[in-house]
Amino acid sequence: MIGISVLLIGKVFALVALGIYIVFALVVVKQVGLMTKTIEVGLEVLIKLIAWAHLAFAVFVFLTAFVIL
Amino acid sequence: MPDVFVSEIKNIENKPKKVERHTFHSRNPLASYCYFPDGIRFVAKDSKERIVLFLRKHPITNIGWIIISLLMFSAPMALDRFPILSFLPDNFQFVAVLGWYLITIAFTFESFLNWFFSVYIITDERVFDVDFVNLIYREITEANIDQIQDVTSRMGSVVRTIFNYGDILIQTASEVPRIEFEAVPHPDKVAKILRELRVEEEQEKIEGRVR
Repeated sequence: MIGISVLLIGKVFALVALGIYIVFALVVVKQVGLMTKTIEVGLEVLIKLIAWAHLAFAVFVFLTAFVIL
Repeated sequence: MPDVFVSEIKNIENKPKKVERHTFHSRNPLASYCYFPDGIRFVAKDSKERIVLFLRKHPITNIGWIIISLLMFSAPMALDRFPILSFLPDNFQFVAVLGWYLITIAFTFESFLNWFFSVYIITDERVFDVDFVNLIYREITEANIDQIQDVTSRMGSVVRTIFNYGDILIQTASEVPRIEFEAVPHPDKVAKILRELRVEEEQEKIEGRVR
């Protein structure tokens, strides 16, 4: 019973941390948008794509943790 | 009545500018020294303003975060030899490794963005220092070319001498007394271009061609 509780607390901590990370990934997307508006040098599409892929990966990890933990 | 003296000011507009003699023109978006770059748009630039020089920190300055990133990416592979997460159940270990890769990607991407978007721009009218200090803080410092009082180039270590990069210190008479270009390639050339632009700007003032 105690073991299960510890794992449950661990799961909650992991999900909260990953939730905060998703917010961070959203800020990165916004930041990249701001940067590419400030300076356009020709790699804007690729950089925005990486930022969105990073956000998608963060959401994927959150969902994975939610399912398997 | 014939003209005794005809001013040559009209023809001066068509003369090639002195600063156009330099090389290092590049279309590479990752270039750290680009002379008269093509296709670069900058939010604070006027429509008639021309970008003369586009600078970033020398690529060699990225070596630190690149090595750290490689070590971080390869760290989970060492878990077989050093099973520091073995006290956790398998599913927790898996999520921990995924979380580690998230942090690694974020570190790598942020380091790259910091280098890529922190640029120094010299136009025919102004000097800009664009800094992205952290996630949400952007700072653009500018000074008119005619407000520049002194330009100093500084190269101070073995690595900087080998790879030919250094700092440019620009003393100005504007509200921002000093603008610093950090670790830019070919600092002597940058200082020379700034000097030529200042001379050209003074000449424009004398001839009354100031924008």
